Order: sequence, then structure tokens, then C-alpha cells
Amino acid sequence: MARAKQEQQQPAGGFTLIVMVGLGVAFLLYVAFLNVHRSGNLLSESNLLFATLIFYAGASALYLGFGVTGTTACVKFASYATWLGLAANTAAVAHRWYDAGHPPLTGIYEMLLSSVWALAVLTLIAERKYGVKVIGTVTMPLAIMGMVLMQFLRTEVHPLVPLLQSTWLNVHVTLAILAYAACTLSFAMAMMFLIQDDMKTETILALSNASALAIYAGVILACFEKCGGLGLLVSNADRKAEFLLSQGIRVPVQISLLGWLMTLALLAVASPLACYGVALWKNNQSLIAVANRLVLVSILLQGLTLAVLLVRTHEDPSAWPSADPFVLTSLVGSVLILLLYLLLVWRRKDLERLLPTADKLDHITYRVICLAFPLLTLTIATGAYWANQTWGSYWSWDPKETWAAITWLVYALYLHMRITVGWRGRRAAYFVIAGFAVVIFTFFGVTYLLRGQHRFS
Amino acid sequence: MAADLRSIFRKTWRTIASIEAGVVLLILVVILSAVGTIVLQRPVTRPEEMQSAYSPQVLRILDSAGLTDVFHSWWFLALVFLVSLSILAASINRLPNRWRYFSHPYKFPDESFRHTLHPQKWLDLANKEGNGESSEESCLAAAERALQSRGYNPERVARQNQLGIFAEQHRISEWAVFIVHASLLLIFFGTIVDGLWGWRGTINLDEGQSSNVVALPDGSTRTLPFSIRCDAAGLENYPDGTPKKWWSKLAVVRGGQEVQKKEIVVNDPLLYSGVRFYQSTYGTNGRVEKLTLAAVPVSDQSRQGTAAKQEIGLGLNDVASLDSDTVVRFAEFIPDYTVRDGRVVSKSNELRNPAARLVVTSKKAGKDFEVWVTKMGEAADTSKVPWKFRVTEVKVGSFTGLEVSHEPGQWGVWSGVVLLGIGLAFVFYLVHRQIWIVPVRDARTGKLSLWIGGRANRNRVGFEERFNDLVSAIEEQLKPMARSVPHGATRFTH
Repeated sequence: MARAKQEQQQPAGGFTLIVMVGLGVAFLLYVAFLNVHRSGNLLSESNLLFATLIFYAGASALYLGFGVTGTTACVKFASYATWLGLAANTAAVAHRWYDAGHPPLTGIYEMLLSSVWALAVLTLIAERKYGVKVIGTVTMPLAIMGMVLMQFLRTEVHPLVPLLQSTWLNVHVTLAILAYAACTLSFAMAMMFLIQDDMKTETILALSNASALAIYAGVILACFEKCGGLGLLVSNADRKAEFLLSQGIRVPVQISLLGWLMTLALLAVASPLACYGVALWKNNQSLIAVANRLVLVSILLQGLTLAVLLVRTHEDPSAWPSADPFVLTSLVGSVLILLLYLLLVWRRKDLERLLPTADKLDHITYRVICLAFPLLTLTIATGAYWANQTWGSYWSWDPKETWAAITWLVYALYLHMRITVGWRGRRAAYFVIAGFAVVIFTFFGVTYLLRGQHRFS
Repeated sequence: MAADLRSIFRKTWRTIASIEAGVVLLILVVILSAVGTIVLQRPVTRPEEMQSAYSPQVLRILDSAGLTDVFHSWWFLALVFLVSLSILAASINRLPNRWRYFSHPYKFPDESFRHTLHPQKWLDLANKEGNGESSEESCLAAAERALQSRGYNPERVARQNQLGIFAEQHRISEWAVFIVHASLLLIFFGTIVDGLWGWRGTINLDEGQSSNVVALPDGSTRTLPFSIRCDAAGLENYPDGTPKKWWSKLAVVRGGQEVQKKEIVVNDPLLYSGVRFYQSTYGTNGRVEKLTLAAVPVSDQSRQGTAAKQEIGLGLNDVASLDSDTVVRFAEFIPDYTVRDGRVVSKSNELRNPAARLVVTSKKAGKDFEVWVTKMGEAADTSKVPWKFRVTEVKVGSFTGLEVSHEPGQWGVWSGVVLLGIGLAFVFYLVHRQIWIVPVRDARTGKLSLWIGGRANRNRVGFEERFNDLVSAIEEQLKPMARSVPHGATRFTH
């Protein structure tokens, strides 16, 4: 009953959101204009990257437009925006390939560039082949985060060091990128399944707010400085590729008062969660509506924080444009998660109408993993073969190797639970989401947190 | 007692073969491997780094728990062994059933089987006047044609004068999971063989040098039955200074004879009788090959005009005469010159501040003068020496660092990997499809209908689509014989 009431609830604050998203898009276009004006060359690599970001962001904005207005045509246009983004992304990949003389597969930036491309391709395939028209609601925010990261991690073209002059590089990394993109797609499918499988909107509220809260708590714990400043790490612009890899090139920068603003945003993110807790305790459903309002407030506050962060780092020329890319990207990610939640609150019925049945989604998720798992296997096998030609051993327990094996084991566990034990539905979907977390750690975490021989990716 | 032991063994076997045990073991492997990447590992970390990262107490605990070398600890090996055992036990337990299923396919469906099978369909055939047998025969023939058009190879089966058709595809796919598990065991076997009989080490060779002694990581050495010689080594840089290529020209010498020759680069090792030589590092060895000196006579009135500025090239211990009276000998070389406590020492093996000790002999004076010369000129007061020297160029010898490894088990690993690929292809893309077709005549009315049933071992959703397609193909084939029944007359049974 209470849920039915929520479904009918008009998109409160939808207008405010449209204005905000409009401002965001205007900001992106303004920066694009500045870039083109400055470089005097429309088709430079950075402009292509920025264009890709704009189109993917446009696709997300259109999904949100669907959330506010309920016009199904928005979803169709979002798909067109994805196509345009893919075109720009392809151009960026081609540009990089032409410049470097080798496929863009070395280093975190090139890996990301190719991965986001593969993700966009898989999104469009999923839309057509499996008929999951709104899959982009999950994959496009991920693509945006990838593109935001790339704006900061972009490096000049470097010639290949002897180790990387091997055909196996191309085979191994291409397979890895496809495998990770397929894992990402399976994650998006699992999310779609949870929506279609009538997971309670309140539970999703709690989960999405908890993830946003984790992001803010992490940033504040890591960066809060005395007197409410926020200490950020910026990298020497010339050596961005090695950012976070070696101590020497990190420059700490303190931005005063941003820490307080960040804490305020943290409280705003925490408030819906507190509301949810009270609602659960008192069994009072009307508080959930309050929580939904608070989510909107927290989004506005987060937007403000992000804007202040961008403006303040811009004022300090040493910090611009390379303010800690991971902090910035996770802040963007937090906003995107909550926006997705609002989309769900407003248009759950419409979303469910646009999605295939839960059973079918469950099956599609499984099919995608049937694609990802052999790709993961081949990634490890080709990597081992290459290592055997280069490092003198096919397996040396390098952290990246070990985590690739862990990822493989997690998906192997999934397959066993599904085929032998017969896990379906919810539990299988949770497993897929956990698997995706492991993939993300293998992709970024191992490179930046653990050390090893895989320092090129 | 013996019975007790047997029952304990049987229980243990059943436990280890269970899927629960497999899952628990895999989760343990995941957790411990993750720990092994987070805690610094001894084999790849310098001792000082370990000490600065952890306090002594913590380090002692980590060390005694084996957490600083997870992947070589006995308990990790034991865990991998248990995983292998679990895979083996599970496979052996399932083998007999699967073999029966594979070798004696169930070809004629009885009634209870027909009742439960999904998907299945009844096609009612219009009751034709005339010979019932020919009608059954003709509808079976029609079904066979339809099956053949869909790539099946139908087989007539009979039981108690009842006829039927059995058709199947890719029966081999029933073995897919066994192939995958066998391939994993093969890979584990290969790595165990390598762990027991394989070794890794390094050889550093100067140009022209040969050696058969491999330095192992634990400080010991290993002597090869042949020796390896480095004929030349070098590196090429890109214009921006980053390395482009390291190469070494190697030759294998056995019993005084050269048996193999190859130029190795990173990514392309030399393989001789199971031992691989990899290009690992490259550097200068600090030994001079040729020293070029600029020698200028001191402007002394008495000798003016007798000699002019000269460039001389010298190898170590070479002698050159500068003029009729003076001879110079290149006596010693150090790559990184410095003076510590009044003694000349080399700070490193890098060519940072090369210096040469020259012995200058004057026949007239009948005296030797010693002098240290760097790129800046003489390093010490040499007022008595009639010449001024300066080092202009130094060519030092280079060494190549080779990684040497012997992995006798890698063939197990590679064949396991290939088998794994095949197994996974079977698991995901090869479906065992079985089709049964039986004409059934109603005992009371004498009405003939065709029962069609099918089964697939995976991707059941996809199989249902194929099944429906097959049914419509059969209907198509039946048309000329009997007018197809109207849509509503088709009975669905689930």
C-alpha cells in the first residue's frame, strides 16, 4: 500500500533537478568551447575525449529526463546519444592509435579508453539483442566516471618499452578489456534484475545512500585537514601516468573550508539513511517520503560541493586540472548513484514496463557471464604465456595475476552455485554484484594500492 | 576395526567430494590469496622494506604464520592439494552415472518419462481411413525428414512392436565439466612438477665471457652440463632516452662445441634442452675496453717543437710512446673516481667519473711517474711529468643479465590450458540435445497422434525455441500427408 502510494508520487523537485543537470551540461559545453578555442583544433584527442564525455552525460541526462517527465521517447534519444558517444569514443581511440602507432592498450589511461569503448558497444548490443532498453541507466554513469578519470589521467604518447613489444600484449589486454566490460554488463543486468524482481525501493534507498556515504566518509577520513581544509593530492602535470605510483610526484594541496562543506554533504547523505532507520524501527512508512526529499537535498548539496571543489582548484593553477582524479571521480559517482535512485523512485512502474521479465533478466545475466568467464580464462592463459616468454615463468604470484585468479575463482564459484546448487534470482544477482566489485579492485585497486610487476596497467 | 576405518574413509571421501566442501575450499583459496597480495611478501620485497613496513612483533607473528610468504607456505600447498582432491573425488563420484548415461543413451521413452518431459508436444493427425500402419510409417518418415533438415541424424527405435525415433546432437558435451576439471588437475600437476623439479636463477655475462654456473635466489649455485657464452650485448634507446631494445647474442657450448646460437631480446628467449635464457638486464661492468687520452706536452723551453698535442687510444696495460723519450702505460682504471682517506676508490660500477692511472716513463730521466687522470685532467699534482693528460673517451665493457629457468612441468600446464579452453567451449557453447518422437494410437478411438519431446543439458530457454522450430518443421512435412490440424486442436502438456 505504502509502496503503491510512492509509485504515484509526482517527481518532487524534478524541476530543480532539471535546472541543475542543465547547468552541469552547460558547464561541460562551456569547457568544451574553451578547449576548442584554446587548441584551435576541433579534432584533437582531448576534445574527442570531452565530446565523448558530453554525449555519455547527455545519455544519462536523457534517462533522468525520462525519470522526471515519464516520456518514453527520452529513452530512445538516450540510446541515440550513446551511439554518438560511441562514435566520439571510437574517434578518440583511433586518434590515439594513429598517434602512438600501436593499439591503445598500455597504461591506465589507454586501458580505460578502450574499456569504456567496449562497455558502450556492449550496452548497445544489450539494448538490441536482449531488448534491455534501459541498461544504459547503469552503464552510462559508469562510462561517465571512466571518462572523468580519463580527463585527468591522459598522458602523452610514449614509445613501447622492450617488455611491451609483443603481439601477446595486444591479445592479452584486448581479452582483459572485453572480459571486464562483460563483467560490468553482467553487473548492470543484475541491477536491472533486482529492480524487476520487486526488491523494495526502501532497501535500494538504504543501499545507494550507504554507498554514497561510504564514498564521502572515505574522502573525509583520508583528506580532512585541520581548520576544515581539504587536503588533496595533485600530480605533476607532466608525469600524470605515474600518479600515485611514486611518492615524489605527488603534491599535496590544501583547499580551505572545503572540508567543512564536505562534512555537511556527508551529513546530508547520511540523513536519508537515518530516516530509513527510524522508519524501519517505528514502522512508519511516511518517513520514507521524507527520506526521498532528503536524497534530493543531499544531491543538491553534493552538486554544490563538487562545484566549489572545481572552482577552488581552478583558482590554484598548480592544482588544475589534476586535482586528485579518484576523489573527484568518486564524488561524481556518488551523485550519479543517488540520481539513479531518484529515477527509480519516480518511474519504477515505467522502468519495469520497459524491462524484460525477471526470469529473462536472470537468464541474460547468466548468459553474459557465460561470455565473460571464457574471456577471463583466456586473459589469464594468454597472460601466463606472455609471462613465460618474458619473466621466465608462467606464474609468479604477482598481485595482478593473483587478483585475476581471484576474479576467475569468484565467477567459477558463481557458475558452480548456479549450475550445481541451483542458485537463481536474488542470490545469484548479489553474487554478480560482488564479482563486479572484485573486478573493479583488480582493475584499479591492484594497480594503485598494491605493488607488482604489472605497472603498465 | 577395518570396517570402522573403511566407513571413516568413505565419510571423508563423501565430504571432500561434496559441492559444499569444494565451495568452502575455493573461498579459502580466495581469502588467502588476497591476504598474500596485501601483506608484503618476502620473496619480492627487500628485508629493509619489510622492517620499515611492520613493527618487529607484527613481523614475527606474520613470519611465523607464514603470511609473509603465503604462496610457498605448506598450508597453501595443502589447500591446493585439497582443492585438487575435491575436484578429483567429485569427478570420480559422478563418473559411473555419467558413463552409463553417455554409453547407453535412453532411446525409447516410456509413458512415465513422456509424462514428465519438458518441452513436449502432441500433434493430432487427422484420422485417415485406410491402413493404420502405413500412416504411422509415413508420419515417422515425415518427422525424419524434418529432423534431417535441422541437422539431426535420426535413428529408428522399436520396443514391443512400437516404433519411435530418437535423435541427438553433441552427446560429447556431457563430458564438458569433466574435461574442465581434468584440465585444472593437469595444470595443478604441472605446477607441482615445476615446484619440485624446476628452478630459476640468473647468470651475468660480460661480452665474450662464458659460464655454466647459475646463481639461484637462495644464494646457492647450480652447474649446467653446458655453458652459455655472450658474444655481444647492447641496448638501443628511443630519441627521448627510454629504452627500445635490449639484446644479447648468445651461444650454447657443449663439449667444446658450439651447438646453438641466437640473438635474444626481451620477449624472445633462447631454449636449449629444457633450459630457457631470458634477457633480463643490461649494464656496464666497469671494465674498460678502450681509453682515449688527449696528451699535450708541457710548454717547456727545452723540448719546444719536439712534439705536439696527441690523441692516443689505449687498452688496459697497453703502452704507447709519446715522443722519442717518453712512454706511457695505462695501468689501472676505475669507473667512478673519488679519494677517500687518501686512497683512490671507485664509488660505484657506473661510469660516472672515469679515471685512469697512467705510468709515464722517461728514458732520459730513467724514472717512472704515476698519475691519475680524469675527464677534467690530472687529478693530483704532476708537475714533474712532462705531459698533460685528459681522458676524452672511455669505452667500457657491457654485461648482460640473463634470467635462467627450467620448468619441466610447463607442458602439463599448457596442455591443461588448451584442454581448459576446449572444456569451457563445450560447457558454454555445445549443448547435448535429445529428441524423441513416438506415434501413439488411442486405444479407444483409434486416433493417431505424434508425441514429440526434447531435452537439453543446458541453455533450456534457447532449446525451447529450437524445439518449437522443429515441431513446426515436422508439421510442415506432415502437411502433404494429412491436413494440418487447426491451431486450437494442438494439445500442450507441461
